Amino acid sequence: MLLSKSEGKEFLLMGNQAIARGALEAGVSVAAGYPGTPSSEIIENLAAVAPDADLYVEWSVNEKVSLEVAAAGSFAGLRSLCVMKQNGVNVASDFLLHLVLSGTRGGMVLIPCDDPGAISSVNEGESRYFARLMEIPLLEPGDFQEAKDMTKWAFELSEEISNVVMLRSVTRLSHASGNVKLGELNRAKPSAKFNFSGNLLDAKTGPVITAPVPFRHTQQQAKLKKAIDLFERSPFNRYEGPENPELLIITSSACYLYSREALRVLDAEKRAGILKLGTTWPLPPELLKKHLAAADKILIVEEVLPFLEENIKILAMENIDSIGKIKFFGKNNGTIPSVNEMNPDHVIKAVSSILNIPYTGMPEEYEKSGQILSFTKSPNRELTFCPGCPHRASYWSINRALTLNGKNGFVCGDIGCYTMAILPAGFGTIKTAHSMGSGTGVASGFGKLKSFGLNQPVVSVCGDSTFFHAGMPALVNAVHNGSDMLLVILDNSGTAMTGFQPHPGIPSDAAGNKLPSVDIESVCRSIGAKTFTTDPFNISETEKKVLDIIENETGARVLIMRQGCALSPEKKGKKKYNVSVDSNICKGTDCGCNRLCTRVFRCPGLVWNSSTGKAVIDEIICAGCGVCADICPSGAIKRSEVMS
Amino acid sequence: MIDPFNIIITGVGGQGNVLAARMLGNTLTKAGYYVTIGETFGASQRGGSVMSHLRVSKESSWSPQIPKGKAHLIIALEPIESLRVLAAYGNRDVKVVSNTRPIYPVGVICGDLAYPSLPDLNTAVAQLCDDARFINATEEAVALGHPILSNVIMVGAAAGLGLLPIDDESFKSVISENVPESKIDINMKAYRKGKEMAVDPVKF
Amino acid sequence: MQVKGSKEIRAGVLDSGLCTGCGACVSLCPYYATHKGKTVMHFSCTRDEGRCHAHCPRAEVNLDMLSSVIFGEEYSAEPFGSYISIYTARAGDKAGLSSFQTAGTVSALMKFSMEKGYIDSAVLTKNDNGFGVPVIVNDPSGIEKASGSRYSVSPSVKGVNEAINSGRKKIGTVSTPCQTLAIAQMRGNPVKQENFIDPIALSVGLFCTWALRASDFTDLLKSMGDVSTIRKLDIPPPPSSVMEIETGNKSYIIPLEEIRKLVPEACSYCHDMTAEFADISVGVFEGRNKQNIAIIRTERGRKIFDEAVNAGYLIREEISSKDIAPLAAASINKKKKGLAKLADAELVNSEGKDAVIRIKKSTLESIFKGGALCC
Ligand SMILES: Cc1cc2nc3c(=O)[nH]c(=O)nc-3n(C[C@H](O)[C@H](O)[C@H](O)COP(=O)(O)OP(=O)(O)OC[C@H]3O[C@@H](n4cnc5c(N)ncnc54)[C@H](O)[C@@H]3O)c2cc1C
Ligand code: SF4
Ligand code: SF4
Ligand code: SF4
Repeated sequence: MLLSKSEGKEFLLMGNQAIARGALEAGVSVAAGYPGTPSSEIIENLAAVAPDADLYVEWSVNEKVSLEVAAAGSFAGLRSLCVMKQNGVNVASDFLLHLVLSGTRGGMVLIPCDDPGAISSVNEGESRYFARLMEIPLLEPGDFQEAKDMTKWAFELSEEISNVVMLRSVTRLSHASGNVKLGELNRAKPSAKFNFSGNLLDAKTGPVITAPVPFRHTQQQAKLKKAIDLFERSPFNRYEGPENPELLIITSSACYLYSREALRVLDAEKRAGILKLGTTWPLPPELLKKHLAAADKILIVEEVLPFLEENIKILAMENIDSIGKIKFFGKNNGTIPSVNEMNPDHVIKAVSSILNIPYTGMPEEYEKSGQILSFTKSPNRELTFCPGCPHRASYWSINRALTLNGKNGFVCGDIGCYTMAILPAGFGTIKTAHSMGSGTGVASGFGKLKSFGLNQPVVSVCGDSTFFHAGMPALVNAVHNGSDMLLVILDNSGTAMTGFQPHPGIPSDAAGNKLPSVDIESVCRSIGAKTFTTDPFNISETEKKVLDIIENETGARVLIMRQGCALSPEKKGKKKYNVSVDSNICKGTDCGCNRLCTRVFRCPGLVWNSSTGKAVIDEIICAGCGVCADICPSGAIKRSEVMS
Repeated sequence: MIDPFNIIITGVGGQGNVLAARMLGNTLTKAGYYVTIGETFGASQRGGSVMSHLRVSKESSWSPQIPKGKAHLIIALEPIESLRVLAAYGNRDVKVVSNTRPIYPVGVICGDLAYPSLPDLNTAVAQLCDDARFINATEEAVALGHPILSNVIMVGAAAGLGLLPIDDESFKSVISENVPESKIDINMKAYRKGKEMAVDPVKF
Repeated sequence: MQVKGSKEIRAGVLDSGLCTGCGACVSLCPYYATHKGKTVMHFSCTRDEGRCHAHCPRAEVNLDMLSSVIFGEEYSAEPFGSYISIYTARAGDKAGLSSFQTAGTVSALMKFSMEKGYIDSAVLTKNDNGFGVPVIVNDPSGIEKASGSRYSVSPSVKGVNEAINSGRKKIGTVSTPCQTLAIAQMRGNPVKQENFIDPIALSVGLFCTWALRASDFTDLLKSMGDVSTIRKLDIPPPPSSVMEIETGNKSYIIPLEEIRKLVPEACSYCHDMTAEFADISVGVFEGRNKQNIAIIRTERGRKIFDEAVNAGYLIREEISSKDIAPLAAASINKKKKGLAKLADAELVNSEGKDAVIRIKKSTLESIFKGGALCC
C-alpha cells in the first residue's frame, strides 16, 4: 500500500500510514524517531519499505538523537523526517532550539504525535507551543487526506524557508483511518553531500552553526515571515459556511472533524461557519482578520491548551479597529473543557448552548439504566501485565525484598510497560513515576539524602530501551556523586510497550538488518557501578539478590533482571512449561493460602474457580512461564517442561 | 442505510479488533463509501478494552468518534464489552451482535469480581437495544481451525444482519489483499458462517 | 478468645510496636516472613479469621482460656503462674553435655526426651551469623549444637510451624515466654481444625526479662569481630551488670545499660517472665553458679523431668522459698510493669476494640496489689 503506484486511487489509510505515504511522495531519504504511542507506526511503516524505497530508517536511542540524525540528512541535502510522541519534543528541544537557528538544507519535517486525553501516555503534553517557542511553522492536518498531503507539502515548505517544519498529529488522526487518495511517489534517489567550505554566513554552503546569533535569529524570523505569506494562500486553511455566520468556529486538527460534525448534527450549517486552519503557527493574519470581521461570536475548538485561542486573541486585539467587537468562546471562558481530548459531543454542547439549539445525545432514563447495567454486569478491565510477563515476577521479588528489609524502601519508576507497577498488577511497588529515565535520576537524588536522615533503601527501575534513552546519564550521575541506590534494569530485550522496536541493546535495526548491539551490563560496569544479574523467573534467587544488594552493598549499583517479554517474537506462542493445579492440594481460600496465586500474583493464566473453591490454569491464556509453581505455598501448582 | 452509519466494534486487546475494523472498513470503501475509523487501542496488549468506531457515509467523511448515544450497530467480539459500549453510545434503536465467548477481566479471573451469566447479560443488553443477537463465534472459529477467525465470523454476522451495503465479492477481494492465498477460503468460510449465524442466533 | 485476621495483626501488632518477633505467624502461610529477627507481612490477606491472629501472643490472648487448655484451671495471680513444683537442676553426666548456657538442664531434658522417644523432633534456636534462627533437630546428637542462649529476638515458633507442616507429631520445643505463649495458643486449636491433635509433646520455657533487637545487636557484635567465632554470651547474675562475650580468643564485657538500649519496645509490654504456659520452665538460679531453676508445671512435664533425673540426665535439688524469693519478686515486677503498660495503652480487656490480654478483673487487681502469694 505504502509503495502503491495507484495514483489517484482511494484507500482506507491509518493517519500514520498517510503521513508515511506523504513522506514517500515527498521523496524522503532519512527517517529517524523514538517509539512512542501514537507515533510509532510512521517509522514502522517506513522501515518496512526502507529497502525498496531507498530509505535510511532508524530507531534512535532517544528523540534528541533522532532529531540530530534527521538533521544530518538535511544538512547533507536530503529530505529527512523525524517522528516522536508529544513528550519526545521536550527531549529533543535542546537540539531543536539550536537547529532552528542554524537552519536546514534538505527539507526537514518534525512530526510529534500528541495524545490529548493521555489515552496511552502519562501526560497530556502539548507540542504546538514548541513551534511558537522555537519560531518555526506549525502544520496541523485536519483529516487523513491532509495528513498525507500536508506531510508532502511540509518538506517543500521546509526547503522554501530553509528551516524545520513541525507537523503535529494527534491520536485521533494517527490512530484513526479514513479515505486517502494517493499521489505520485517520488522515487528519485538524491545524492548526499555536506558542504561547509562556503562563507561562514552562507546558509547553503557554509558551516551549519548558530553563530552569530543575532544575525541568524533575524534570518530565522524572516523565514517565518515568508511562511506567513505562504500560509495566507494555503489551501489547507479554508472556510466552510455562510458569508456572515452567527457563529464562527475556528479550529484545526481532528477538532475540525468534530466541529463539522457538530454543525451537521445540529443542522446549524446555515448559521455557523468553520474556519479550518491547517497552518496554526504563525497564524496568517489577513485570512483571520477577514473571517474575524465577518462574525460577532467566535468559538475556538482545540485540544489541551488554548494555543489557537491565545494567538487569535492577540491578533484580534492588534486589529480591533478593523475587526470590531467580538465575543470569544473557548477554553478560557469554559465553553470548551480545558483538559482531556475533544469529541463531537463537546463541540455539539458548545454550539448548542451558543446558538440555543436543543440537543439530546442520550435520554436521561436510558443513560441511567445503561450506567447501572454496565456497572453491575460489565466488570471493569483493569490493566495488567501479560501472562508470562517477566515484570510481574520482577516486582514480586523486588516488593518482597523491600518488605523483608523492613526499612520502608521504595521504587522510583519511569515509562514503559513496567510503569503498571503503580497498579495491583505490579503490587503497587512503584512510588514515583515520571518521564523516561526519571526513576533513576530521582533515585540518584534520594540516594544523597542520608545526611538529612533519609534511611530508606532507594531503588529505581528502568527498562532496557529506557536505559539507553535517558537512564544512562542518570546512572553516571549516581555513580559519580556516590549516590546510595540500586538501579534495577528490567531487560526484556525490546521496546515492548510500543510494539517491539529494537534499541541499541538489540542486534538489529528497524528494518531487521544485523547491527552490533550494546551490552547493558558492560556499559554499567564501565560507568563504575557494581553490577549484578539475575533471571527474574527464578524468584527465590532474585529476591535474595535484591535483598542482599540492598543490605550489603553500598553506592550506586545495578541489578539486571534479564528475561524476554512474553510477547516477544521469540517467545510468543511457545510454552516452556505445561502448568496445572492439583486441586487436591490447592488450599484455595483456606487459612494458609487465601488464593495467593489468583488474588495477589494475579497472572491472567490463573483462574479462580469459585464453585470448586480452587485455582485452575487457563491453558489458552497461560504462557507457560512456570513462575506460579514457585509462588504456590502448597506446591499445588505443577509444571513440567514442554518437550520441544 | 442511515447516513452516516455508526458502527462500533468492541472487544479486548488481542482479539483482532483493529483487523476486523479494517476488513469492514475496506469492504465498505470498496463499495464506494467514505469510511472513518477511530481506534482506541492504547492498552490493548495489556488486557484493556479496545474499541473501534466506524463512520460510514455516502456523502463525506465523519469524525473518528461517534457522538454519545448515536451508534447504529455494535459488534462485540466479547460479550460484556457490548454493555459497556451501550452505556456510552447506545440507544433504543441500536442493533447488537455479540460473540458469546467471554474473556474474563483480571478482576474476574482472580475472583474479585463476578462475570454475569450469558442469559443474564442477554437480558441486560436487550434492555438497552432494539435487537441483540449472540452467536458462538469463537467456538465456530475453533471448529474452523483457529480462534482468531472469530473476528471474521463476527464481521460476517454483521453483514448477515442486512444493515450494511456489503456483498460477499467485495469482502472477498479485501480478504484476498490481506491474507495469503491459502487462507482465503477458510476466511470466506468463516465470513459465510457468520452470516448464517446472525440469522440463527443463540436462544436463551 | 476472639479470632480475627491479618488486618488486625498488621495494624494492631506489627505496625504498633507490639510484635515480639516470635515467628508464630511465619510459615503458616505465604504472607508473613521473618528477616533479621523482624516479622514482616508480604502483600495482604483478606481473611477475617486466621491462625496468624489466633496464635499471636499479642492479639486477644485470653489468659483464663489458655490456662484452662494447658492446666485445666483459671489463670492465677501467682508470681510463677500454675505449677506443680520448683527445683534447682543441672545436667547430669548421662546427658553427656559439654556446652550449655547455665547448667544444661534444657539441653539435657531435650536429649533425654528424644532418646526416650517422647519427642520425635526438637525445635531449638541456633546462631546464624549473629542472628537466632530456628532449627529442627531430629537427632539427639544435634541438640547440643544449638545449646546456649541467643539474646536477640528469634522467630523460633516459625520452626515449630515448620515441624508441624512436615508432619511431626511429637515435637519438643524450647522457647522464651512470648514464644511459649504462642505455642500454647496454637495447642488450644483456636481455629477449630478438624482432627486436631496437639503436636507438642514437651514445651520447655525459658525465663526471660527481655531480648534484644536482632539487627542492632548483631551490628554491635559485628563491631567486635567475626560473629561466627562467638562462643558464648552471658549475663552473669546481679550484682554484676554486664554482658560477657567470648569469641575465639578474646572476651568482651559490655555494660548492661548499653545493652538495654537495644531492648525492643515490644518487650516492655511483656508480663511473663517464667514462660507460664510451658510444661517446664527453666532459668538461672541467681547467686548459685551453674545452677538452673526449673519450674515443673504439668503432669507430663513432671513425668519426663522425674525420669530424666532417675536416668541421670538431670541432677535435681530441692529449693527453699527463700531462694526463689528474688525470682518471684522479679516475676511479679515484670507482670505489673507489662500489664500496666498494656493497660495504659487500653490493651487490657478493652471493650469494643482489640485487646492484647484478656484477664479476669479480680486477678488483674490482685496482681497490681502486689501478688497474693509473693514472699
Ligand atoms: C533472650 C533470652 C533471655 C533470657 N533471659 C533470662 C533471664 O532474664 N533470667 C534467667 O534466669 N534466664 C534467662 N534466660 C535463660 C537462660 O539464658 C538459659 O537459657 C536458661 O538458664 C537455660 O540454661 P541451660 O543451660 O539449661 O540452657 P542450654 O542447655 O544451653 O539450652 C538453651 C536452649 O535455649 C535455646 N535458645 C537459645 N536462644 C534462644 C532464643 N532466643 N529463643 C528461644 N530459644 C533459645 C537453645 O536452642 C537451647 O536449646 C534467657 C534466655 C534467652 C534466650
Ligand atoms: S497459591 Fe496454590 S494453594 Fe493457593 S490458591 Fe493458588 S494453587 Fe491453590
Ligand atoms: S505458568 Fe503460571 S505465571 Fe506463568 S503464564 Fe502460566 S499461569 Fe501465568
Ligand atoms: S488468615 Fe491465614 S492465610 Fe491469612 S494471613 Fe493469617 S495465617 Fe495467613
